Amino acid sequence: MKKLMFVFVIISMMLVACGTGGQVTGNEKVTLRLWTHTNNAFNTGYDALITAYQTEHPNVTINRESFEYDLYLQTLQTAMPAGEEADIIQLFGTWTSQYYERLAPVPSNVMTLDQAKKLFYSAPVGGFIVDGKLYGFPQEFNCEYGGVLVNKTMFQAAGLTFPPQWKTMDDVVADGLKLVQKDASGMMSVAGFHFTSADPIAFSFLAGIKQRGGDYWNTDHTGFTFNTPEAKVQLEWMVNAVQSGIVDPLVFNDATNPVIDAFFTNKAAIGYIGAWAIAEGQTNFPDFADEWDYIYLPPTQGEPVFVADSGWGLTVSPNSKSQDVAWDFIKFVTTDTKNALSWNLASGTIPAMPEVAKSSDIASKEPWVAKALDILPDGEYLGNMPDRDLVMYEIIYPRILEALQGVTSIDEALATIDSEANSTFK
Amino acid sequence: MKLLLKQEKRQKGGLAIAKGRFVLGITVPLLIYESLGLFIIGWAFVLMFFKYSSGRLGGPILGLGGSNPFVGFGNFIEMFNGTSVEANLFRISLKNTLIFALAVLPLNLMITLPLAYLLESIGERFKALYRTIYFLPVLTSSVGVALIWLSMYDPQAGWINAIIRLFGGTPVSWLSDPRAGFAGVSVAMWAVILAYLWQDYGYNMVIFIAALQGVPQELKDTAMMDGANRWQTFIKITIPLIRPTMLFVCVMTMLSSFQVFDIIQVMTNGDPGNQTQVLMLDIYKNAFRYQQLGWAAAESFILFLLVMGVTIIQMRLLRTEWEY
Repeated sequence: MKKLMFVFVIISMMLVACGTGGQVTGNEKVTLRLWTHTNNAFNTGYDALITAYQTEHPNVTINRESFEYDLYLQTLQTAMPAGEEADIIQLFGTWTSQYYERLAPVPSNVMTLDQAKKLFYSAPVGGFIVDGKLYGFPQEFNCEYGGVLVNKTMFQAAGLTFPPQWKTMDDVVADGLKLVQKDASGMMSVAGFHFTSADPIAFSFLAGIKQRGGDYWNTDHTGFTFNTPEAKVQLEWMVNAVQSGIVDPLVFNDATNPVIDAFFTNKAAIGYIGAWAIAEGQTNFPDFADEWDYIYLPPTQGEPVFVADSGWGLTVSPNSKSQDVAWDFIKFVTTDTKNALSWNLASGTIPAMPEVAKSSDIASKEPWVAKALDILPDGEYLGNMPDRDLVMYEIIYPRILEALQGVTSIDEALATIDSEANSTFK
Repeated sequence: MKLLLKQEKRQKGGLAIAKGRFVLGITVPLLIYESLGLFIIGWAFVLMFFKYSSGRLGGPILGLGGSNPFVGFGNFIEMFNGTSVEANLFRISLKNTLIFALAVLPLNLMITLPLAYLLESIGERFKALYRTIYFLPVLTSSVGVALIWLSMYDPQAGWINAIIRLFGGTPVSWLSDPRAGFAGVSVAMWAVILAYLWQDYGYNMVIFIAALQGVPQELKDTAMMDGANRWQTFIKITIPLIRPTMLFVCVMTMLSSFQVFDIIQVMTNGDPGNQTQVLMLDIYKNAFRYQQLGWAAAESFILFLLVMGVTIIQMRLLRTEWEY
């Protein structure tokens, strides 16, 4: 009888263990690893929230490990196939479609897809959705469209109204022309309106297609349609803007004088760049003394529809033994408005949640976000491309830059983009 | 006597055992270490037959198969016949790598051999000084060298354009103008070749100095006595005698040129319009930025074949069947 009882107890214990699927109980010690890329502002935000979570959950220890950006990519690619990744992984939302097979989907008891869609802006959460499943929570709205750094000192020196009252993109070009400066040899020393770096070229091109009523996706999102009348009109507008003389794309591009460097070294009066550049510019160029502001451009046509990447967020490894705690921490960081706000303020990023973006704290401490509130709901997710970086940085950007530099024609550029981008689906 | 012999044998036996243990202690860890290297090469060899991405789960055995499908020679066929962006970039990179290597090798020899000869002919005190000066760039990190040249090539603030402006010329966007070229090669490519040469030439120069010092003076004196001038002595006596060194220098320079990466990544990252995109940079981007490890492994294999082929040709052309 005793032996029977013993066997019964053992079997019961095993069943209980299987039933919980490795979940932790309230007082069990749990140690989680969190991987992030090295960005001091981001990691300061994480550290504060880790401390807050550990205070609320004394049995949980979260160790954050960070890697330089390039090393982070390599580490993810080698650690994930080996199953040695951290429990919680910081991921750029747009990458999710490339990694989702190695990520744990969000359990429905943590949050459903519909709940997530209601909680976050469409663009940031869009990247974390693959085949109708949610794989993580976004923390920032990665908006590369429409925002420009403007140099007040240069505006005033050129006798222009500040802040500029632009109604159309033609107004922007007109101001840009008055701000251009050239040296004695005729080389452009200050770009009036610098939009010829990789991100501004790619995102203004895609937004222009949308605003003109077109789309770069085919109907079932199985291919691209870049060689369209809308794309042609948008590229023509960009070429005409360059030919008007507001920027010299031979001197101002991603390799030489990218927007952030050019603006904070007084080589660009208006610089087209995402709001992330504000914190980075202030950190990297402490000697920049001119007065400046960050404002939003009018649409090229119609409504300010645009596309955006998903931005940084948090995901969970399916190999984690404490997935429930990992999700609890992620929910604590990303969906609690107070915590999400603290991270966005620390990192200087645009919040992924409308509720946070509209808060008075954001309005006072990140005024550029308040200015973007009107356009953020118009932001659509870029779409799950087979290889987003390849399409954006090896196809769209170089081909358009070549057209702007006069190396290829508009038709040639669009045909090449269309064929090369579609080849990524093979 | 017998006792002494026995003792000696025992001592020798003890020494042999100790030697055996030592050899075993050294070779076993080395073999394990080497086998790790072989495993990596083997893994790369396998990967090149798959459309493999580390982001995908793939099949049950090492992630091969399934969503990382076996494509046989598909990657190689695509590289040379395909129209995809990866295939186009591979062909551009291959062409640029060949341009780079074929420009660097003769230019390097044209600089280093005469310079070594000149240095050999000056006084000992200055010889050491100049040797140190010329060798310093070799000791500098490639990233540092790239940053220095990057600032010199700056279209607005760089001193190269400053000099051009001083003489009333038109400044050039050295690293970002895809239209500018010389002898059929883009200006950006020439710009990175110049930076690479500057960093690399000191190494070959020192090797040539050592080789020149090894040429017997008697042979040169004999040639002079027979009526040869300095140029004829250099061409007919010195050059043939330093042929083994030239072979070494050619092979090593070619190898390092085919593998050029860091200086280009920092200076241009393949721009403008992929005009400086070389194979190593393309392999790196495919492997670690675009996660196409199968494709990158296939590219690496092509690079290996290329380097091996060029090395064999060089060894055939420059081999000597005599020693002095």
